[in-house]
Amino acid sequence: MNEQQALWTGGPILLIEDEPSVIAFLRAALERKGYAVVNAASGAEGLQRLSNGRYAGVISDIRMPGAVNGAEVHGWIQKNRPDLRTRIILISGDTANSETQAFLAHSGTPSIEKPFRVQQLIAMVEKTFGKP
Amino acid sequence: MELAVEAAQSRHLPDFLEQFALRATRMLDAMWGGVAVYRARETELHAMPGGSATTEGAADWLISCARDSQNDVETRAIPKEIAAGLPFLEEPGVVFFVRIAASDNERLGTLCLIRNRKTLGAEEKRLLRALASHAALSLENFQRFSQLERSKRQWVEDIDAISDYIVVHDRAWNIVRTNRSLASHLGVPPVALVGEAMSSLRQIAETGSDLPCPFCRDTQRTKEEYVAASAERIFLVSTSRTPGASDDDTRTIHVLKDITDRREAERRYRELFDSIQEGLFFATPEGRFLDVNDAMVRMLGYASREELLRADVSPHLYPVPEVRERFLRALTERGVLRNYEETLRRKDGTLLHTLQNITAVRDARGRIAQIRGLMLDVTEQKTFQSQLQRERDFNQKILNTTQSMILVLDTAGLISYANRRCYEAGYQEGELIGHRLVEWVEASHRKDFDAALETTAHGHQVENLELRVRRSDGSMGHFSISLSPMRDEQKTVNSVVVVMTDITDAALLQAKLAHSEKMATIGRLVSGVAHEVNNPLAAILGFTDLLLENPEVPGSAREDLQIILQETQRTKDIVQDLLSFARQRPVQRELVQVNSVLRQTIKLRSYDFASHGVEVIEDFEEKLAALGDSQQLQQVFLNILNNAYDAVQEAGQRGSIKIHTRRKAEMIEVAIIDNGTGITDPQRIFDPFYTTKQVGKGTGLGLSICYGIVRAHGGEIQCWNNEMGSGSTFVVRIPVATEAALSAAAREVGR
Repeated sequence: MNEQQALWTGGPILLIEDEPSVIAFLRAALERKGYAVVNAASGAEGLQRLSNGRYAGVISDIRMPGAVNGAEVHGWIQKNRPDLRTRIILISGDTANSETQAFLAHSGTPSIEKPFRVQQLIAMVEKTFGKP
Repeated sequence: MELAVEAAQSRHLPDFLEQFALRATRMLDAMWGGVAVYRARETELHAMPGGSATTEGAADWLISCARDSQNDVETRAIPKEIAAGLPFLEEPGVVFFVRIAASDNERLGTLCLIRNRKTLGAEEKRLLRALASHAALSLENFQRFSQLERSKRQWVEDIDAISDYIVVHDRAWNIVRTNRSLASHLGVPPVALVGEAMSSLRQIAETGSDLPCPFCRDTQRTKEEYVAASAERIFLVSTSRTPGASDDDTRTIHVLKDITDRREAERRYRELFDSIQEGLFFATPEGRFLDVNDAMVRMLGYASREELLRADVSPHLYPVPEVRERFLRALTERGVLRNYEETLRRKDGTLLHTLQNITAVRDARGRIAQIRGLMLDVTEQKTFQSQLQRERDFNQKILNTTQSMILVLDTAGLISYANRRCYEAGYQEGELIGHRLVEWVEASHRKDFDAALETTAHGHQVENLELRVRRSDGSMGHFSISLSPMRDEQKTVNSVVVVMTDITDAALLQAKLAHSEKMATIGRLVSGVAHEVNNPLAAILGFTDLLLENPEVPGSAREDLQIILQETQRTKDIVQDLLSFARQRPVQRELVQVNSVLRQTIKLRSYDFASHGVEVIEDFEEKLAALGDSQQLQQVFLNILNNAYDAVQEAGQRGSIKIHTRRKAEMIEVAIIDNGTGITDPQRIFDPFYTTKQVGKGTGLGLSICYGIVRAHGGEIQCWNNEMGSGSTFVVRIPVATEAALSAAAREVGR
C-alpha cells in the first residue's frame, strides 16, 4: 500500500455497518475529526448508495447479515467504482473464518480488527482517505 | 470125475480129504491112507477115517517124506521106530507117496498109502496117477471156492461195517439182505430180516410212495436218490437196481444215509443267515450277489431276495467304480478285509454307509472265485458322526476365530481350556492351563472376580464385568469379562465359560471420540460467543478512547476510564484466545524438524529452568520430520513446558522434565514427563477455562488452544498422571512427513 497519505477527494464516508453501538462510536470518532458519515445498515443498502453517490471512501464491516457481505462490497467497488478502488477499509470482527483471512491477504485491502482503538482507526482513515 | 464133483460140492475140505484117502486105500488094497496138503509153509496131514491114531513121530515122518518126495510116485520102507507108532501096521510095509499137482504143476499135496505089498503094478500106477489128478482138480476147485467164500464173507463184513443202512430186496418186495447197521437199528440180527417184507421197514422212514417198499419210488429207473424222513430222522436214500438174468434175479439196493444232523445244521445255518441283523452275502468278484440274507435285502432297499439276486445291481450299487477296483486289489492282496468301509447306493438312490468284514474264496489258481462278507449299516452313525463333526468344526471355528479370549474354568477357578485367541494374545499354555485365572486379574479387582465366579458357580450368568487384567506382556489392560455357567447332565454347574475382551483400545477410542466431539462443540460455542462479544467490546473500547480524548473529562474520571480501558483490553485478550482455540487456523504446511522446534522451545525457558534447578532431560530420536506450522507447534510445546514447569515448582522438590521423541509407526510421538504435582483431572485439562492456576494467572485456554493446533495437524494430544511416583505425562502425536512430502520439500530447498 502506498505509504503516503491519500489525497482528500471530499464527500462523506460511507459506513456500511449493522451494529448500532459500533456505528455510534465510529460516527462520533470520525465526525470529531471532521469527517462526514453516511451509514448503510447492510451490504445491499451500501451498494445502492454507492451506485450514484460521491464518497471520500468506504468503511465496511466484513460480516453482516443479509445477502451482501464486506467482501462482495469490495468486489463491486473494484468493478463499478474505480475512483473508490483504493479507498476502502474493512472491519473484521472475526478472523477465525479462513475465507476472510484468505480474502484479506489476497486483496491487500486495509483492514482493522474489532475491537480496535480509536487512534488506530483514525490513523488508517487519514492514510487511506486523506484529511478533510 | 465123480470124486471131483463131490469134492467141489463139499464145503468141508478135511472130510473130502479123509474120504478120498479111504477110497484110495481101498482101491489099492492098502492098510492106511492119508493126504498131506500144503498151505503156505504148513503141511497138514489128513488121515483116512479111523486112521488118525498115528503117533506124532510117525505123522512128522510121513509129512517130511511127503515134502521131500520128488517124483510122481515114490516108494519108501517104513523104519522100525516109525512102524512102532503105527498100530495098524501088523508087519513091515512100505509107503507110496503120490504127488498131487495143480494144472500149473504147483504141488498141492501128497497122497500117502501104506501096504505090505511093496511093488506096484503098472495098472496100479496108472490108477494112482488118475487118483492124484482127480485130487488135484478137487483141491484146486476147493481152493477157488474157499477164496470165493472168504471174499464173500469179507464183503459182508464190509457191508456190515458201513454205518449207512443197506437193504437189498427182490422183485417180490422181500428182503434179501440187510447190513448189520440196519438190523441193529431195529434191534434184531441181520438174518432175522431175510425173507421179511420190505414194508416192515416202513418204521425207519418213508418216501411217501404207494409201493410195498417204503424206499422205492420209480422201479423203472436203475438209480434213484431222494430224501426220506421219519418223525425224528432224515435219510438220503440212494437206490440202485441190478437186473438179473431172469426177473426173479432183479435186486434193488437201498442205501439210507442219515443226514438228519447235516440237515439240521443246514437249517440252523439258514435260520441264522436269515434272522441275523447284519447283512450277509456271497458275491462274485464282479459284484453280482449269489446269496444274500433278508437283512441285506432290507439294507439295500430291495423288495425281495430274488429281486436283488436277479438284478445286475453292480453298476447301481457302487457309485464310484474306482473305489470298487481299489477294494478288489486290496482283497486280492490280503484275502481278508476287516472293518472295511464302503459307501453303497440303495435301490432308491440314497447312500448306505457300510462297515464290512470280507473274505475272499480263491480258486485253484489263486484267483478270487467268490466274496463272502458281513455288512453293517453304519449310515446313521456316519450321519450322526459327520453331523457331530460338522458341529464340532463349527464350534471350533467360532472359538478360534472370535476376537474374544474364551476360557473354561472349573468351579475352583482353574483354567481347563483356552481358545486360540488367548495364545495369539501371547499367553503361554503353561501359564494358563491348570492355573487360576484370578492370578491374572489386577490385585484390587480380584475380589470382584471371585465374587463373579461364585455367582456363576451358583448358576447365574455374569455379563460385562469390567476388570483390569494383566496382559501376556505384563501390561494392564481393560477387559470386559462375561462368565456363564456350564452344567452337566444333572444340571449341576461343573465349569464356567469365561469370555474376555480387551476393550482398552475401544475405551480409549471412545473417550477420544467423546472428547473431540466435546471440543468441537465448545469450539463452535466459543466462536459464536466471542463474535458477539466483539461488537459491544469494540463500542466500549471506542467510547472509552473518545472519552479519554475529551478534554472536558475530569482527571479522576480519566483514572476510572483507564481501568475500563485496561479491563476491556483483558476481555479482548480472552476473546482472542478463545478465538484462536476455536479458529483452527489453517496450518502452514512446511517441513518441520520436531526436535529442533523442541530445542528452540526449551531455550525460551532455559533461564527459568536453570535458575530454579529444574533438570531437563532430552531423549530424542533423530530425523523426525513432520509437515506443519513450526510457530504453532512451538506454542504447543511451550504451553506444555510451562505447565510442567509450574507443576514441578509447585511440588517443591527437585524438578525434572523428561522429553522423549520417538517415531511410532506413522506418527511422531513427543512425550513430556514431569515429576510435579500431577493433574487433578486429566480428562478435563483440555477443556476451555479449565485451570488449576490461581485466578488471573492464566485464561485457562492455553491447553485448549494446544488441543486445537495439534488436531489441525492431524494429530492428537493426551495427558495422564504417571502410574509410578508423581507427576504427569503429556503426549503429542503428529503424523510423520511422507516420503513424497520430504522429496517435495527437498526440491523446494533446491530451487
